[in-house]
Amino acid sequence: MLWLLLLLPLQALGAAEKTLGVPPDSISKYVPSKSNTWTCLDGSKEIPWDYVNDDACDCADGSDEPGTGACPNQPFYCKNEGHVGSFIPSSRVKDGLCEPNCCDGSDERPGVCNNVCQEVGQVYRKKVEEENKIRKTGSKIRSTYIAYAHKEKKRLEGVIETSAAEIAIQEKEVVRLRDIAERSESLSAAALELKQQSPLYISLITHANALKSLQREHKKYLQREKELSNILDALRTGYNPNYQDMAVLEAVRGWEEISGLPHINDVGKDSVSDEEAGVQEDTASEVAETKEDVDDEMWSAEELEKDLDDLLNSDYVTLLLEHDEYVQSVPEGSVLFDIASYLPDSIAPQYEEFKDTLLSWLVNLGIIKGETPSSTDTSRSRQALTDAENRLNSIKKEKEDAENDLKEIFNIHGYGLEGQWKKLDGTCLRTEVGDYTYEVCLFGEAKQIPNKGGSTFSLGKFASWNPSPDVKPGDDTYYGKQIYNRGTRCWNGPERNVVLLLSCGTENTLNSVVELEKCEYQFTGTTPALCRPLDSSEGKNGQNANAGKDEL
Amino acid sequence: MRSVALFGALAALLALPDVLAVKSHDFKTCSQSGFCRRGRALAARAQEAQSSWESPYRVEPSSISVSPENSTIKASVKSSLYPEIKFGLELRIHEDGVVRVLLDEVDGLRKRYDEAASWALVSEPKLSKSIRWAVGKKELRAAFGKKNDIEIIVNYEPLRVRLRRGGEDQIVLNGRGLLHMEHFRSQTSKETVEEVASDENGEGQEVLQTENVRAWFEGDSEDAYWEEKFSTWTDSKPKGPESLSLDISFPNHGTVYGIPQHATNLSLPSTTGDSPSYSDPFRLYNTDVFEYLASSPMSLYGSIPVMHAHSAENTVGVFNAVGSETWIDISYPTKKSTHTHWISESGIMDVFLLPGPTPEEIFAQYARLTGTTALPAHWSLGYHQCRWNYVSSDDVRTVQKRFDEEDMPVDVFWLDIEYAQDHKYFIWDHKTFPDPVEMTNDVAAAGRKMVVIVDPHLKRTSDYPVYQEASDLDILVKPKSGEGEYEGWCWSGSSSWIDHFDPASWDWWISKFTTTKIDTGFSWTESTEDVHIWNDMNEPSIFNGPEITMPKDSIHYGGWEHRDVHNINGMLFHNNTAQAVRVRSDIPKRPFVLTRSFYAGSQRVGAMWTGDNLGTWDHMAVGIKMVLANGIAGMAFAGSDVGGFFGNPEPEMLVRWYQVGIFSPFFRAHAHIDTKRREPFLLEEPYKSIIRDILRLRYSMLPIWYTAFRENSVTGMPIVRPHYVMFPQDTAGFNIDDQFFVGSSGILVKPVTEKEKTEATVYLPEDQVYYDYFTQHAYRGSSEGKHVTVAAELHQVPVFIRGGSILPTRERPRRSSPLMKLDPFTLRVALSKAGTARGELYLDDGITYSHQQGELVWREFVAEQPQKKMTRISSKDLASQNPAKAVDGVALTAYDPKNAFAKEIEEVRVEKIVVLGLSSKPSAVKLESGADLKWEFVPGVAASDKKEGTASVLSIKDPKVLATADWAIVIS
Repeated sequence: MLWLLLLLPLQALGAAEKTLGVPPDSISKYVPSKSNTWTCLDGSKEIPWDYVNDDACDCADGSDEPGTGACPNQPFYCKNEGHVGSFIPSSRVKDGLCEPNCCDGSDERPGVCNNVCQEVGQVYRKKVEEENKIRKTGSKIRSTYIAYAHKEKKRLEGVIETSAAEIAIQEKEVVRLRDIAERSESLSAAALELKQQSPLYISLITHANALKSLQREHKKYLQREKELSNILDALRTGYNPNYQDMAVLEAVRGWEEISGLPHINDVGKDSVSDEEAGVQEDTASEVAETKEDVDDEMWSAEELEKDLDDLLNSDYVTLLLEHDEYVQSVPEGSVLFDIASYLPDSIAPQYEEFKDTLLSWLVNLGIIKGETPSSTDTSRSRQALTDAENRLNSIKKEKEDAENDLKEIFNIHGYGLEGQWKKLDGTCLRTEVGDYTYEVCLFGEAKQIPNKGGSTFSLGKFASWNPSPDVKPGDDTYYGKQIYNRGTRCWNGPERNVVLLLSCGTENTLNSVVELEKCEYQFTGTTPALCRPLDSSEGKNGQNANAGKDEL
Repeated sequence: MRSVALFGALAALLALPDVLAVKSHDFKTCSQSGFCRRGRALAARAQEAQSSWESPYRVEPSSISVSPENSTIKASVKSSLYPEIKFGLELRIHEDGVVRVLLDEVDGLRKRYDEAASWALVSEPKLSKSIRWAVGKKELRAAFGKKNDIEIIVNYEPLRVRLRRGGEDQIVLNGRGLLHMEHFRSQTSKETVEEVASDENGEGQEVLQTENVRAWFEGDSEDAYWEEKFSTWTDSKPKGPESLSLDISFPNHGTVYGIPQHATNLSLPSTTGDSPSYSDPFRLYNTDVFEYLASSPMSLYGSIPVMHAHSAENTVGVFNAVGSETWIDISYPTKKSTHTHWISESGIMDVFLLPGPTPEEIFAQYARLTGTTALPAHWSLGYHQCRWNYVSSDDVRTVQKRFDEEDMPVDVFWLDIEYAQDHKYFIWDHKTFPDPVEMTNDVAAAGRKMVVIVDPHLKRTSDYPVYQEASDLDILVKPKSGEGEYEGWCWSGSSSWIDHFDPASWDWWISKFTTTKIDTGFSWTESTEDVHIWNDMNEPSIFNGPEITMPKDSIHYGGWEHRDVHNINGMLFHNNTAQAVRVRSDIPKRPFVLTRSFYAGSQRVGAMWTGDNLGTWDHMAVGIKMVLANGIAGMAFAGSDVGGFFGNPEPEMLVRWYQVGIFSPFFRAHAHIDTKRREPFLLEEPYKSIIRDILRLRYSMLPIWYTAFRENSVTGMPIVRPHYVMFPQDTAGFNIDDQFFVGSSGILVKPVTEKEKTEATVYLPEDQVYYDYFTQHAYRGSSEGKHVTVAAELHQVPVFIRGGSILPTRERPRRSSPLMKLDPFTLRVALSKAGTARGELYLDDGITYSHQQGELVWREFVAEQPQKKMTRISSKDLASQNPAKAVDGVALTAYDPKNAFAKEIEEVRVEKIVVLGLSSKPSAVKLESGADLKWEFVPGVAASDKKEGTASVLSIKDPKVLATADWAIVIS
């Protein structure tokens, strides 16, 4: 090749300088016209050829200074022989610093930077090799994920098929049972209605309703109290003293007093505070003891918690009927039934007649129990129906879930077109940062779990892959980011949420957690699901201009 | 009217969202401050008595003594109220005509605090030696000044001090008879005056004494003499009443400026008199006001008790060297006169009268008293990126990477309090910052710096060596008992504060910043010389203290109460930190230490910012006024948080705020921990590119800023200059505070601080041509002043070059300012109507103090018309002509143009010269030495025309003349 250079006219020898910073595919544009002028690449201006790379900006588009940094926003091409060619912005040309992307030092004044492309190239190639190795291993695992997805698909299809058959059978069963229940109920309905007029029953139902309402309210307040104490706990530990808000401080202190906590600033301070805290705890337990001191017949808080539901779940209709039986047993030995023995035989038949009438009256009035078809039987058939319906519903749900899973399994927005993510559904990754363990269950929920006790916060539930409109669904940047949102709301802040950034790795790991903004977490992790198999064109050290651009 | 005004105020209050309202009840109004109440009541009695009012203070003529060198005069003063109490008056006339007036109680029960001036003054002022005092029967007087046209007169009965010029009173002390120095007394009756917090006017105090011969002057009650309650706090006031009331009148000046820091107009609104703008006086009491109001006389983080009184005829000033809480009432009895009333809680009277007569001379006089801004490190004029908080070293690295990827220049990354484990400053939280030194080195690799916060509150735990050492050395502020350690609550929980008034704290504090191990205790080995410091919360801010600060009865070194030194406190911490950063390296380097709290003299130490502003348009606008006000009070290296500390500014607001920021001496973006991230690289287009251009504009103008800083460091002239400073005679400009000039460069800026603006109206104060910086459009001013309307779309900030200016810029974008060191210059020659122009360029290494040894380059560029149809542009060496005026702090006797720094940049050239406003196409453009230059000419309006329109532009391509050499170019 050297002989070619020797043949070139003298003027063109200077061309090496004129094309400094010009990428190979544009070198042909940097030649003088016959009249030794040159036209800016945007065509805006014709300038003397001398002006090209003369360290003074002449063209509006900066194209006359590809190699000097005299024009802003002009890419400078470093050949980086022995490594890969790369662009740097003109702001880095002749700024006195050696650029990693410009290992040949061509961007600086002579003598400032050595050509280190051999070393850099070596390191780069080694790095690429290592990355490729990871990718190779990872992609093998990924292919098992894909296989799993196909298996899973088959399984789900099987589930759908079986459940469809079961549904058909179960539906028939429901129809049969409904028929039985309805028939027995229609017989007993009128009688039951009458019984239910009993003031006792009505009062019982009213009591039960009142108790239910009370329980509902109670639960509401318990929930509220729990939420409030969560808020106050969060306020206490995490409140922002920058607000220098004495109202907040007083709220914190008030809360500490009520709940018998030491003042947050004194926690772990010194022995004096610990003693104080101890004293406070004693007071708190005293308070608790006082609360326990209740009337014997009254329910304890524990009983309320545990047993009230059972009580309220009583089948009042059954109770009513059982009550009838109980009531009926009393007249067995009563005057009404035995009266016949005291009557003269002559009027006995009339009496029996009368008794029947009287009894039917009494029965009709609901005072005593008649020999109508058992209401217990009615509720039993109803129960059988309900059970059958529940079974049907659960099979339907199973089918529906399977159908939904099937829909997601090869969905680009779900488990990926190849189903590579299905395997990881529900896989939980954990890492410990500071005083917390962070956990994300893929496609489920992210959590912050305190290591030293306290409440666990939800950091959000899976919402979507990378939602940026600039990202094409299905490509690596799309699957490289998961959004979890609508976690527990922060005090004085937004709902917690997580951006999970994933990259190719041989294992599923959670590597780092940062809270870049208040209550907005960034997780990083690796997964084989992102290790695409190497294309044959890749990883072969292509002299592609852009390949090395952002490397190193 | 009043009820309407009240309703309006209420409506305005209601319109504010709750979360964005100042907690006014955390801070006192005058009526809640005993001595202010007493001071205002005194003024009210005088007002009522009108002409029958006479000050009880008089000079005893027999006591007058004149010092041998004649500049100082002393006399006894007595008050007819307390004939047994003695006061001493002293007047000193300085070489430059400044008159210092001192009044103190003599042989009193206790001593009044008299050290405020000693902290404020840069050195003991030189006294004049040519004064001839004339001691008369009713007055004593002296005339002085270059033309002997300044007179100082002391009237004996009543005591009155008058500074006169041209036979007219300019400054009058005690002209209204409000002087009152409450003498020390013993508590005789233990009556407790009940606090009437809700009473706005201070009326309704119980009349506890029936007969009181002094009631006409002092009032009937001993209002808050011995104890004072505010909210849940009680000030024990063991010394009793000791306040100082002083009226200062400017009978011939209708505008006053100064007494920062307040969020108000530059031209100070009235607080008393007919329909005052504010109902409370201006307050000077350094406080951490959470979400402060954008228009209020409430005190803020810093206090500089200096005031300019201005008229078209002349300017005078007063510097009232007081360190205690001070309230200042201002009223304008006529359009051409001003009354002020200064009410201070304690301390002697120590007032400096600055005779002017021009703003420029006021700045020089004040600079001779309190010093100038030390020339800052050059990099500190770049862009500072801050946030509460960058959460880890990797976060910092990522932010840096993003700036570089977006090719946006930035010089400094900041770390707020969360870097420190449990807010124990210096102690890195290694969970998030495992490698602070490596992180700093990664930042420094691109020529950048880190600024890391060190606040004054020390966490009281024995495992915190800084606290433990301070405790062992007994250098912490003490509680009112005078024993033990004052304990308050701040970021770090239970905390104590170093008493920087204690000389024993100085060397110890300085040693903490050493980056290597020391024998004597802790030193910051996990830092490097690329780490500079941010001192926040130094008012001091104390969350559980009265008015979020230290109780006034806490005890400092020498037994002084905190009340005596409160406003000075923040400056000492700042100063000692800056000393520490300066001396930690073998070759001292210029420290950068940002402070929030400041006092007169703080400018010598470093930069300040306007504290925790809100992300609102109002705050953006008032930030400009505050920076201007700080500038005229000497605190020139100032800026506001770009974007607003609180809130999430929309992109439009953020862009406008960057436009404001690049024209502030100190340029930092900052954000609260609860805000969304808003680093410029996060914005969508077009905002991102607009801000990139804005940042680059700042960097291109760094030579102009640095040159302005040099001037400020020598003369005290502000970096950003309001109209009255530039055009003292133009009355129409006196109230203008939304546009300003940058140094002497001739750059005029009118930032847009309103939403959805596409145009701006700019005031041109003189009959001169002003060129649009970007479009070269020539606008014509008028000698009566003229408003012009200019385009101001979101990407446009109205910037003008005043005809007659030459601007040196560096137009090559870089990642950080140190990387611009060898970049060539561009000169913009904006011809005046007369066809001339002038500009300066100052350069030095920007890091060390070698400039004080003459290692600098100071050039002057001149464009002139030596003959008709010829323009000559030349570069001259200014340093050789004025070595003594080249740098601050040392008067060079000689200058070597071939000094080491000049050699380092000897190859730096001028790559382009743009001449605006030539009247016709040149026939030739040549170096005077002969060589032809390449050039282009675009015809347009000439500077001398009366027309408006795009100016003619001559672009001289790469004349290859050097920045450090003399040269001349001739355009014919």
